[in-house]
Amino acid sequence: MKTQFKRTLSQILIFLSANLGPIGVKTGFCYPFFYCNSCPAATSACPLRALEVGVFQNSFKWKLILFPLLIIGFFGVLTGRAICGWACPIGLLQRATAPVAQNLKKIPIIKKFALLPIEPKLRYIKYIMLIGLVFFTTALIGFMFTNLCPIGFLTGTIPTLLLYPSEFVFNSLFFYPALVIFILFLILIFTVERGWCRYFCPLGALFAPFNKISMLHVARVDEDTFQKECLHCNACSNICPMGIDVTKMDRDPECILCGKCVEICPKNLIEFKKR
Amino acid sequence: MKNISKKKKKFFAQITFFILITGALSGMLIGTDVYTEVQDGIVEVLCLSCLKLDPKTTREFTFDTANDLAHPEYVLENLSSGIIFLHYSEDACPGCDIMLPIVQDLLSVNYEKKDLFSKNVDYQGQQIRYFYTNIDHATPGRTEPFETYDVQDINGLPMFTIVTLGYYSGVIKPKLVTLYGTLGVDTNEQRMQVLEEVIEDAFTLWNENIPGYEP
Repeated sequence: MKTQFKRTLSQILIFLSANLGPIGVKTGFCYPFFYCNSCPAATSACPLRALEVGVFQNSFKWKLILFPLLIIGFFGVLTGRAICGWACPIGLLQRATAPVAQNLKKIPIIKKFALLPIEPKLRYIKYIMLIGLVFFTTALIGFMFTNLCPIGFLTGTIPTLLLYPSEFVFNSLFFYPALVIFILFLILIFTVERGWCRYFCPLGALFAPFNKISMLHVARVDEDTFQKECLHCNACSNICPMGIDVTKMDRDPECILCGKCVEICPKNLIEFKKR
Repeated sequence: MKNISKKKKKFFAQITFFILITGALSGMLIGTDVYTEVQDGIVEVLCLSCLKLDPKTTREFTFDTANDLAHPEYVLENLSSGIIFLHYSEDACPGCDIMLPIVQDLLSVNYEKKDLFSKNVDYQGQQIRYFYTNIDHATPGRTEPFETYDVQDINGLPMFTIVTLGYYSGVIKPKLVTLYGTLGVDTNEQRMQVLEEVIEDAFTLWNENIPGYEP
């Protein structure tokens, strides 16, 4: 079975398992990926919501801070950011929008943007989002990232409005700002492949450091063979949805272990490695 | 040689991290109530501000309770002296933070967000028995009506229930209305006005029916 087919299957199955609420499955776990607990079918809690409740207005609830971090750490140590590539429903959505983003990449201005020296630095925004919006403002002011979260809007607000159209009204304080952010999110994922994961996802920021120590990772075969046999065709870097220069990659925090580079390399010089 | 030693170090780090994380996670699940806390406090209670929506505010009083659950004893007893105002909140809830000062101002009560609070309030010469419950710090007895009066099965916070009396087939019974979130209006003045109107309606019903009420 090809890697990408396995990946699709995994993403679909995990998406279904994230939505077992209607059959009465409501657990006390946190999802290890981005999904909103206000979704009418949600099975578990958003890890960011748990973190926010843990630090809200300086209330230090250590259990609610540690629990989601340990769940993320568990998967992180085993597979690094593979959760982003193989499990996250928002990743699945971005796979669906990727063909549009790939076509738009051919437009000169977007091509230029991708080559700008500032582009790699934009990836640090997600760390700022995590520390600033999930922890800092929540602890100090009480403003929570999840109140304006575009993923909450997509997986919580929209399904609720569709399922119960006559039972809810917009909360003017949060709905309209969240709608604007959601529209920007849509523009982003249609114009930049995996734009949300690259620049903004606070959960991606939590998972990223684990790529440095994860048991499973994507890497080149041994250095000598790689240097000898690489055709420098750049197919691996061109296909990478995270925009990584795969030929120079060494446990890159951005790698989501999607395996596209592994599949495309004509000389099989890139592989999934254990340990 | 150097490479092998580096690999060994990495493997040692991986195993150490894995054991530490797995141990801590198992320990938390076995030794603490974090699973229940997440289940009851996050998964099953709807954060209305996360949802960015408010349940449509219906100001019509009903005799129905959720799943026909019985009214709590303390509600039935206190109904003899005035209407009941039940206010539910939680710690991390921006909507609760918006509504708290409005209710405090309306009823001239003062308490901290984390308190469990109840008071007989004199409201324009009539009595309101006010109960404030933060479900993150409440006893099961205090949270029981949260389920009973969530007639629409919203399970969202903040939630306000006003219980009064009504006439039904020859019997005077508790009649109630439950409101949610920031009440579906935009300003604090409007929110205050919604509450004032509901309280006035509740007093009208209570005054009409109290002579025949037997708790």
